Amino acid sequence: MLEVRHLAIAYGGAPAVWDATLEVGEREVVSVIGPNGSGKSTLVNTIAGLLRAHSGELRFDGVDLGAVPSHLVCRQGIALVPEGRRLFMRMSVEENLEMGCYRGEARRARTTTLERVYRLFPILRERRRQLAGSLSGGQQQMVAIGRALMALPRLLLLDEPSLGLAPAVVDQMFEIIRAINGEGVAILLVEQNVVRALEIAARAYVLEEGRTVADGPPAILRQQSRIREAYLGLRDGGDVNP
Amino acid sequence: MSARRRVAAGLLAAGLALGGLATAGLPAFYESFLYIIFSWIALATSWSLLSGYAGYFSFGHGAFFGAGMYTTATLTTALGLPFLATLPVAGVVAAALGAGIGAVVFRVKRLRGELFGLLTLAVGFVLATIVLNTRIDGGPGVYLSAVPLPRLLSSPTGTLYLLGLALALATVAAAYVIAHSRLGLGLYAIHDDEDVAELEGVPTLSYKLIAFALSAGIAGVAGGIHAMYVSYVTVGETFSITVPLYVVLMSVLGGARHWLGPAVGATIIAASLYTFTGGQQAVLGRAAVAFVLILVILLLPEGVVPAALARWRRWRPHPLEIFTTAASTPAPAAPAVALTCENVWRAFGGIQALRGVSLSVEPGEIVGLVGPNGSGKTTLINVISGYYAADRGRVVLGAEVLTDRPAHEIAGLGVSRTHQIPRPFAHFTALDNVALAATFGATRLTPGQARAEARDWLEFTGLGRRAAALPHELNLHERKFLELARALAGRPRVILLDEVLSGLNPAEIAGAVRLIQEIRGRGVAVLFVEHLMRAVLELCDRVVVLNEGTVIATGSPHEAMRAERVVEVYLGKAHVVA
Repeated sequence: MLEVRHLAIAYGGAPAVWDATLEVGEREVVSVIGPNGSGKSTLVNTIAGLLRAHSGELRFDGVDLGAVPSHLVCRQGIALVPEGRRLFMRMSVEENLEMGCYRGEARRARTTTLERVYRLFPILRERRRQLAGSLSGGQQQMVAIGRALMALPRLLLLDEPSLGLAPAVVDQMFEIIRAINGEGVAILLVEQNVVRALEIAARAYVLEEGRTVADGPPAILRQQSRIREAYLGLRDGGDVNP
Repeated sequence: MSARRRVAAGLLAAGLALGGLATAGLPAFYESFLYIIFSWIALATSWSLLSGYAGYFSFGHGAFFGAGMYTTATLTTALGLPFLATLPVAGVVAAALGAGIGAVVFRVKRLRGELFGLLTLAVGFVLATIVLNTRIDGGPGVYLSAVPLPRLLSSPTGTLYLLGLALALATVAAAYVIAHSRLGLGLYAIHDDEDVAELEGVPTLSYKLIAFALSAGIAGVAGGIHAMYVSYVTVGETFSITVPLYVVLMSVLGGARHWLGPAVGATIIAASLYTFTGGQQAVLGRAAVAFVLILVILLLPEGVVPAALARWRRWRPHPLEIFTTAASTPAPAAPAVALTCENVWRAFGGIQALRGVSLSVEPGEIVGLVGPNGSGKTTLINVISGYYAADRGRVVLGAEVLTDRPAHEIAGLGVSRTHQIPRPFAHFTALDNVALAATFGATRLTPGQARAEARDWLEFTGLGRRAAALPHELNLHERKFLELARALAGRPRVILLDEVLSGLNPAEIAGAVRLIQEIRGRGVAVLFVEHLMRAVLELCDRVVVLNEGTVIATGSPHEAMRAERVVEVYLGKAHVVA
């Protein structure tokens, strides 16, 4: 469904991604891990159309995304939940959600989609008149995911969804991601919580200094001692436990 | 030659050359042309002391200029005071006006940004109305043509020329000195993030008042001189929108954050405007000037002077400084003491964020503060650091009560903190971010010493190679460690860490954990807010669990994390406890 080949992206004058290659299939959960500053956020922002690649291939269902204007990328069926949530803090929960289906088909379907979002996040229905800025961190993250779902994506890009959340809420967040995937939405997940990111994914990619340096099923990546040391913080023989 | 001496020598040379020019007998037209430029230099440079350095955009500079004009006009005509004696009075009246407005406005947090601009604009209108409708003016304007002008030079225009020159040079020199002083550092920090500046120990209220009074006072003196220059003072001319708008334009064009920027901008604009004053080509000429200004501001948004300096540095790069100092790690600036919170309450509107929280942190101890999102952890840190006042209860550091003190005093006593989302000063390099904390924290170093010490802290946190980088060039991992370096640079006795580990991957976390252990080893009391249970278990001596603003459990990490209530509201399941 999503094909990224040898993508290079410059950000703020300096190249942030040199050579990224990855694929996401229909209904698949794929994680991207890597140290801070390795270009993970730049990569998902580019897939979402916020940044432009300067070389390489970026295709979604065979359509070259480089030729699609950024505000129309979401109509192709891709939605981004940005790092740090980026809600409209002075709008209500429901207004935030409606900003997710600003136009087109998604707008016509908004009553049904809103119902689906409230079914996934019952607490948001209770708080729908409340200002987004007054919610707790976990609830804000739910609004951010809900807003992305309002665009009826077939591929959801999640950038650090567990950032700053309490342990119980992190658990909940990963259950939600699984539930969304269960409804047929493919997921591309960028996450510093490497243990969780590997747990949920069918496949994972390792991005270092802007290059894809390893990929494969989590079970195999977890065996590689370099990844155990650099990302899981384990010496060999240690236990993988969150 | 040091930079300071070079600037002093440059200003002195400019003064002697321009002063000599006048004694040599310049045609009167050129004297008054140059006087106009000097006057604008003084006005634009003085405006930037508050508005450029501290970022409080004022549209009220015309009011202080006008206050000075009418002070001189009134004192010379109605009271018959000698002209030169009225100039200091004009300055004092305008400075008092500025300080008075500041003393009211600066206390209201909402009046930043656009609202401050609008309010200062209104000051000009109010003042104009008062002057017009009282005996100060009364309507017909004030004639100064009968006031004797002391002859410093052979011609009357020569005197005004010299006064204008002296004021312009003095203002530019003051701008330079302030930019390189503690005051200037604080003002720049206020510009980037006033709340963080206060939390780092900058006395923001008094600094803004000083800058405002100085800025207004210089405009007042400029007004006093100008009253004599025009010799017929009217409300319509004096309080027109020209002065407030031109000083903004000039400063922005030249670079409002740089001490020399407004002077350069004033020279460019004043010179090009007065070149086209008469005849058919005046309109076309001014249109061309306006067009060029639009282009320059679009292409050089930071201003002409900073852009030129950046280009100059690219041509002549500074040699890279290699840090040879071993990362020494100084102990706290004052004897170690415990931090205690006693029954702290705090509400926001109807929401009770803290309901009687009590806890204490001993020197060399790490106390973990955990709990669900929205349980009041960050609010408690904000109360301890003085960002919010407590509604009830008190916070005590050793023998000092912190409650109700302004945040900069609390920082000065040795309490420092980090922010959940890093809040570096955006226009400061990594080094200067840390140096600011060392200047205003418990150590009270001079800016020079502070930079030397800041290097050590950057080395300590592994950011030594990034000293010259601006915050936007750093990645999240580096920005988090910059927060930590800045918190350490004040050599605190208590450090409040608000989720320093979030967003780091497990390997990066291991590095941060070692740093925090070292900080504790120096006798600092650490309050550690974190969701990452592995780090909490590894680091903390004791844990306090908050839920809905109340402490629901305390004890050793393993005890507290096993408490049934904690598992229920926070952890979700007990799997975390090894």
